[in-house]
Amino acid sequence: MLKHPTAHFEAASTLAVVVSSNEPLLFLSDDQKVIAASASFCRAFEIDPATIPGKRLSELGNGEWAMPKLASLLKATASGSAHIEAYEIDLKRPNQKTRQLVVNARTLDDGDIDHIRLLLAVTDVTDVRAEARLKDDLVRDKAILLQEVQHRVANSLQIIASVLMQSARRVQSEEARGHLHNAHHRVMSIAALQKQLSTSKGGDVELRAYFTQLCQSLGASMIADPDRLSIEVTADNSAVEADVSVSLGLIVTELVINALKHAFPGERTGTIVIDYQSSGNDWTLSVTDNGIGMSAGSDAPKAGLGTGIVEALAKNLRGEILLSNAGPGTAITISHQEGDRLRTDLSTAA
Amino acid sequence: MNNGKAVVLVVEDSPVIRMGAVDLVMSAGYEALEAGDADEAIRILESRNDVDLVFTDVQMPGTMDGIKLSHYIRDRWPPVRLIVASGATILEESSLPGGSRFFSKPYDDHTIIDAMAHLLSSDCDWTAAKQATLIR
Repeated sequence: MLKHPTAHFEAASTLAVVVSSNEPLLFLSDDQKVIAASASFCRAFEIDPATIPGKRLSELGNGEWAMPKLASLLKATASGSAHIEAYEIDLKRPNQKTRQLVVNARTLDDGDIDHIRLLLAVTDVTDVRAEARLKDDLVRDKAILLQEVQHRVANSLQIIASVLMQSARRVQSEEARGHLHNAHHRVMSIAALQKQLSTSKGGDVELRAYFTQLCQSLGASMIADPDRLSIEVTADNSAVEADVSVSLGLIVTELVINALKHAFPGERTGTIVIDYQSSGNDWTLSVTDNGIGMSAGSDAPKAGLGTGIVEALAKNLRGEILLSNAGPGTAITISHQEGDRLRTDLSTAA
Repeated sequence: MNNGKAVVLVVEDSPVIRMGAVDLVMSAGYEALEAGDADEAIRILESRNDVDLVFTDVQMPGTMDGIKLSHYIRDRWPPVRLIVASGATILEESSLPGGSRFFSKPYDDHTIIDAMAHLLSSDCDWTAAKQATLIR
């Protein structure tokens, strides 16, 4: 007499949970027959739900699920010897692009140890992966482009600097040479900022590092004897927006050039100190030297391009320029006080 | 060395920058040679044996960039001193042969002249760098 195995029925609730699963899900018997498939699975992989009952996994659709590796992994999972976690497979269908899938399989743990059944969750990661790759590519492209731009800017500045220095070496007039050197210093001041910007993460520029670089560059070309003259930077930890830093850098450049040229005649030794302190929106920039001090009256040197640049930039930053005697030497302070402006506004209003 | 003058080879693809660098070298009292890329630089180094220092750009067309060139020179002509300049701000100094100097562009002419004078002076212990390379 033949022994018929008793038919096994799944709980309706289990089937309902599988069918309504948001993630594509297959419910399989231990011999890989499909007991139920989620609507999301049928939709995602274009399988007519009506064709599913009684089919084996390998017979779904046009047989594209007949993947030996998947079958053996499921077999191992059913026997309890393995666990499929985030296993990656490629789904190949005729006339369609290969889809990258991530599968997870486990046995259903409902207390029925006589009937082993499997839950196979299938996620199509093709689009997500492509998007991630695209994003990575874009980030990399952007970094390369930025590097390329910085490289071009540096090269362009080098061309300008080279031409200015060549002209300076050729001209006969001492005065013309001075002007060309000043032009070169101004270009190098912008270049120092460019270097600072290319190493900073955001768009802000750390002033102490920037001024230090600026002064090294100015010192290298203007100070013949570093034991006689030196430049110090004592700025606080302030960081400012790039375009504000351009102005501050150019002001420092002009004031330092001026001090190096006029404050230490002969063999006079000395130091120039650049300081920047800020508190809230208020800030003070100062360039102080311990040289011979400013000559006044008819002895005062005629205001040159440098003075014009400093005045225009300070005004643009809404800063006030103050010249004072540093005893010995000269201190030039440019300060921006929001409180002061408020008071001035109020007094004009009254 | 040629007639008591140190010989400096400038390797730079941009004509205007190369002109400026040659001018800088001559103003410092050295003899200047010029090459537009690494291959030309190597041909010059092969054709004469009096080059004391090579001042090279990094990004250049041709088979080698300035970094590869500097390693090639250190291997083949160990006594030649090296100065490398690049538009890239951050360059791993460790990616250059020992004893060579790096400057980012735009460089200051005085700084380069000082570096050349230092590398070419007898008190500069470049032989240590050379020995270190040979030991490696």
